[in-house]
Amino acid sequence: MFEHTQMKCLHALLDTIIPPDDYPGAVEAGVGDYLQRQLAGDLAESLSSYETWLADLDAEARAVNGTDFADMTPRERAELLTRVETGVVKARWSIEPAAFFREIVEHCAEGYYSDSGNGGNRGGIAWRMIGFEVTG
Amino acid sequence: MSDYDAIVVGSGAGGGVAAAVLAEAGKSVLLLERGRNLSFEAVGRDHLRNQRMPVYGHNAGPDIDGNPRTIEADSFPILVGQALGDLRLLRPHEPGYQNNAACVGSGTRVYAGQAWRFMPQDFRMASEYGLPKGSSLADWPITYEDMAPYYEKVEWEIGICGDHRTMTHLPAYDRPYPMPALPLPHKSGIHKRGLESLGWQWLRVPRLINSVPYNDRPGCINCQHCVGYACPADAKNGSQNTTVPRALRSGNCTLRAEVMVERLDSSDGGRITGVTVIDAAGERQTYTADVLVLSCGAVETARLLLNSATRHEPTGIGNSGDQVGRNLQGHYYPGAAGLFPDVMFDGVGPGCSIATCEFNHGNDGIIGGGFLGDEDIVTPITLWKRFYPPDAPRWGIEAKRFMRDNFRRINDVTGPVQEIPSPEARVTVNPRVKDKYGIPVVHLSGKTHPETVRSARFMHERAKEWLLASGATKVWGKPPPRYLSGGQHQAGTCRMGEDSATSVVDPFCRVHSHDNLFIADGSPHVTNGGFNPVETIMALAWRTAENIVKRW
Ligand SMILES: Cc1cc2nc3c(=O)[nH]c(=O)nc-3n(C[C@H](O)[C@H](O)[C@H](O)COP(=O)(O)OP(=O)(O)OC[C@H]3O[C@@H](n4cnc5c(N)ncnc54)[C@H](O)[C@@H]3O)c2cc1C
Ligand code: SF4
Repeated sequence: MFEHTQMKCLHALLDTIIPPDDYPGAVEAGVGDYLQRQLAGDLAESLSSYETWLADLDAEARAVNGTDFADMTPRERAELLTRVETGVVKARWSIEPAAFFREIVEHCAEGYYSDSGNGGNRGGIAWRMIGFEVTG
Repeated sequence: MSDYDAIVVGSGAGGGVAAAVLAEAGKSVLLLERGRNLSFEAVGRDHLRNQRMPVYGHNAGPDIDGNPRTIEADSFPILVGQALGDLRLLRPHEPGYQNNAACVGSGTRVYAGQAWRFMPQDFRMASEYGLPKGSSLADWPITYEDMAPYYEKVEWEIGICGDHRTMTHLPAYDRPYPMPALPLPHKSGIHKRGLESLGWQWLRVPRLINSVPYNDRPGCINCQHCVGYACPADAKNGSQNTTVPRALRSGNCTLRAEVMVERLDSSDGGRITGVTVIDAAGERQTYTADVLVLSCGAVETARLLLNSATRHEPTGIGNSGDQVGRNLQGHYYPGAAGLFPDVMFDGVGPGCSIATCEFNHGNDGIIGGGFLGDEDIVTPITLWKRFYPPDAPRWGIEAKRFMRDNFRRINDVTGPVQEIPSPEARVTVNPRVKDKYGIPVVHLSGKTHPETVRSARFMHERAKEWLLASGATKVWGKPPPRYLSGGQHQAGTCRMGEDSATSVVDPFCRVHSHDNLFIADGSPHVTNGGFNPVETIMALAWRTAENIVKRW
C-alpha cells in the first residue's frame, strides 16, 4: 500500500499524534496496522488523500526544516503539526492541510482507543492506560 | 383454508409479543423476520461497528449493502450519504437513515433495556397543551388506565427490574416490579445526591434486565457492553430470549428468519389474504393466513403498507386518508457532559441507574419535556467521539494525558424529549430506487416540529444544571438543531384513532379498512412520550394481540 518513505512518514506522524511515554505510542500499539486495514477496506476512498497529504507533509518539512518529516525531532514534528493544524504552511499543499489532518487524528484515535480486534490498542494497552477494564 | 391462523411480520419488540400471545392462545402462527438469528459471537464487540457507535457499520442489521433509503437533503443538518439527484442515498448505518435493527429480536437484541411506562399526560397531549401551529399533536384514543394492566404484564412476564416506590411521577403501581433495581454504580450515587441537592425528584431506572435470576435465566453480571451489544450472561430480556422462545415452545409458532416480506396479498375483493416473501436464496413464496399482524417497526410497516397497493386501495393499504407514513417521530436526546474532580467510573454496568422525571410535564412555556438520566457505560472511543470537551487537546502528548487522566472523570446525563409530531415528517416510498430484493425503498422527508427543538434546548439547560449540582467543574455540549427524527425510537407512522380520515388504525390497532389486519409495533403511537418507547410498544402489542384472540 504505502512504499517505504511514505510508511516512515506515516509512522512518524502517528507517533506525533499519540506519542510514546510510559505507555506505547500509536505505532507500537498497532495504529499503523489499524490504518492499513481500514485503507484497504472502509476507508479505501481516503487512500489517495493520505498519499497526497503525506507527500505534502514531507514537502512542508523540507521547506521548514530541510529534512523529511520523519527525520525531524519529536518536538519539531509537533511544532510543525501545530502550524499545519492552523493552516499556516510554507509549501504548496495540493490538499487542504488542516481539515485532512483532523481526519487523520480521528482515525488514529479510532485505532488506539477502540477494541484490539480492529488492529490497534494491542493487548488492550490503551484501555489499561485510561482505566477501562472489561470484566464480563 | 389458510396456511396459518396468523402471520406476524417482524420479530422485534411488538412482533415477539404478538407471536407469543397468539401462539399461546392456540393459534398457528408464522413469524417472519428479514434479519438473521444472531448469536452472541455474531453480534460481537466491535467498538466501531455496533448499533451504538455505527462508524463503519453495525452489528444488528440490516446489512449495509443492498438496503438503501433516500432522504431529502434538507431533512438532516449535515450532508449525509451520497448524492442521488436532489436527494441523498443512505446506507443503513449512516446518519439520517432512521435505523433501529434487523435480526431476530431487532433492537431488543442489543438494546439498553430501559423500561419506561409513559405518564397519564403522555396519552392526552393535545388536551394538556392545545394544538401547536403546524403540528398534528393529538390525544391517544386510549388512556394510561387502559395501558396499566399491560405494562404490568410486560414487567412480570418479560421481566423488568426496578423500584416502583421511586416512580412517584406515575399513579401508584398495583404490583411492584418482579425484581429489585440493579446495584447503583458509584457515579449514579453522585448524580443522585446532585438531584437531591436541587430538590428534583429521583428514581431508579427500570430495566428489562434480570437483576437476579428470573424466568430460568441468570442475573446481570454488570459487564461494560450493555447498550449496543448482546448480553454475555443472557440476562438482558429481549424478544429473542423471551417472547419468541415462548411462542416457539407453545408448539404453534414457526419462525422463519432471513425472509423479507415483499407485499401483502389481497383477494379480488380487497381482503388481505397473506403475504408474498423473498427468502435468502432469492426465492419468492406466498403464505396465506386469516389474520395479519405487521410489526416491522414504524418505518418499514409504513413502507410495506404503501408497497401493497391494490385496485381498491391504490395509494396503499389503509391509506385512504393519506395518513400512512406521516408523523414519523423518535426522540431528540439533549444532554450535556461534565468533568468531575474525582473518578466517576467504576466499571459497574449497565450504568444508567438514576433519572429524574421532574421535567416531563409542567414546564413553563414548553410542550411536554422529558426525563433526564445518567448514562450507560461509555466506551473509550465513544467518549472520544461524543463526550470529549470541545476545547481539550485532540493530539500530541497533552491529548494522550488528557484521556489517561480524565476518561474516568467525564460523565454525561441525557434523556429523550417528547417530540411534537409533524405531518410533514414522513415516510413514503421511492419507486425509482430498489433494494436488493427489487422492492421500492423508503423515502424520508420533512423535519420534526420546531417545538421539539425548543423542548430540547430547555432540557439541555437542565442537564447542565444537574451536572454542576453533582459536582462537575466544567460542563459542555450543544442543544440539537432541527432535523428529521425517528431512528431507534421510531414511532407514529400509522397513528391510532377513532376516525379513518385522521388515523390509520383503530383503538385496538386494527387497520380501519380491514377486519383482519393489525399493527403491533411503534407505528400506532400517537405521541411517543418523553421516555424510551419499548415497554409501551410491548404493552400495546399485548393488548392488541389479546383483543385479536378475544374476538376470534
Ligand atoms: C442500541 C439500541 C438501544 C436501545 N435501547 C432502548 C432502551 O433502552 N429502551 C427502549 O425503550 N428502547 C430502546 N431501543 C429501541 C427499541 O429497540 C425499539 O423501540 C423497539 O425494538 C421497536 O419495536 P418495534 O416492534 O416497533 O420494531 P422492531 O423491534 O424494530 O422490529 C421490527 C422487525 O421487523 C423486521 N422487518 C421489517 N420489515 C420487514 C419485512 N418487510 N419482512 C420481514 N421482516 C421485517 C425487522 O428486521 C425488525 O427485526 C434501543 C434500540 C437500539 C438499537
Ligand atoms: S450490563 Fe452486561 S451483563 Fe448486565 S444485562 Fe447488560 S449486557 Fe447483560
